[in-house]
Amino acid sequence: MIEALFNQPNYLSAKKTLDAVALRSEAIANNLNNLETPGYKRVDLAPDFEKELARATTSNDSEQIASLKPTLAVDATSVPSSKDGNSVHLEDELMKMNQNAMTHALETQLVSGTLAKMRLAITGHA
Amino acid sequence: MSPLSGIPAYSSGMMPRIAPLPGNDVAELPSQLPSAAPAAGSDFSSMLGKMVSEVNAKQMDASQSVNALQSGQNVPLHQAVISMEEASVSFQLMVEVRNRLMDSYQEIMRMQI
Amino acid sequence: MIQILSGIQNTSASLDAERTRLDVISQNIANAHTTHDVDGKPYQRRVVVFENELNNAMNGDTAGLSTMHVAKIARDSRPPTKVYDPGNPEADAKGMVSMPNINIHEEMADLISASRTFEANLAVVKNARSMAMQTLAIGRH
Repeated sequence: MIEALFNQPNYLSAKKTLDAVALRSEAIANNLNNLETPGYKRVDLAPDFEKELARATTSNDSEQIASLKPTLAVDATSVPSSKDGNSVHLEDELMKMNQNAMTHALETQLVSGTLAKMRLAITGHA
Repeated sequence: MSPLSGIPAYSSGMMPRIAPLPGNDVAELPSQLPSAAPAAGSDFSSMLGKMVSEVNAKQMDASQSVNALQSGQNVPLHQAVISMEEASVSFQLMVEVRNRLMDSYQEIMRMQI
Repeated sequence: MIQILSGIQNTSASLDAERTRLDVISQNIANAHTTHDVDGKPYQRRVVVFENELNNAMNGDTAGLSTMHVAKIARDSRPPTKVYDPGNPEADAKGMVSMPNINIHEEMADLISASRTFEANLAVVKNARSMAMQTLAIGRH
């Protein structure tokens, strides 16, 4: 019964996205650390995670969502920004960092809201 | 659990099946929650036992995450925070169910035969 | 220690490295006209060499991340520039003085790029902190 309470697809999807956001912020931090390192190739989330998550969410499949696991991989689509082979573009990276922060804020709010609704339903007040 | 397991004896022997109290907020939980109305008397206490052990599992989960975080292991912060909140919500659910059960038990005891 | 801010373990190494680079650049600029260094020769431009090493993968997800650090401070091997200045006590028989091989414009460009990287890493730390504060506020009424 308790498990079913927390197995709503939207809630699980928000939690998984938070996992991905945390991982992505690590990747972006690493990219910015190595902004000047010769030959460094930027890393990011493996691209199939987002597609899988979108598919599992639209089909409302809780088990599928719970089984997904985001991973980091070298970004194959990035082009070198300088002669030494470094493929980190500063403005790009800062934009991604900001976007990641906004996604984090959104998902945190979704999770918080779901928990607050549950408490309201259980106790009749906040 | 022994005072509560006496309820089925009353319900099957003496009076019609106990309906949930009006305003029982447990019924307003998300729609995918399986129906909590007991079918027969013996299922109810085992269902309560299951709920207690699930709530306990959630608490253990939460304290494990927090311990791992405090000992410096690589646990994402949001996982620890969310499992703490989920454990707290589950515990609140259990406490409310207990309150309703006590209320209904006392209501029954007050009834004039 | 508690790892509350995720992913910024290597940022302090990077901030350190960039600060070293800034120090080296300012030393280069200060010594742009030093014809007589401690070893008797004109000052040679110093260059910071960065190195990258792969982190030991703690778990499968973060394999491939790397830490950077300063490997060494090398000397630029380009020969000193010769300037015609017969009045200078250091001038040789032809009146040529060996000046350090420091191009101010090059140093300024390096300075700007090092400061940019430094500020970008500071932004990473600030961002990580605000994300952590938001996470801690989950479920708070």
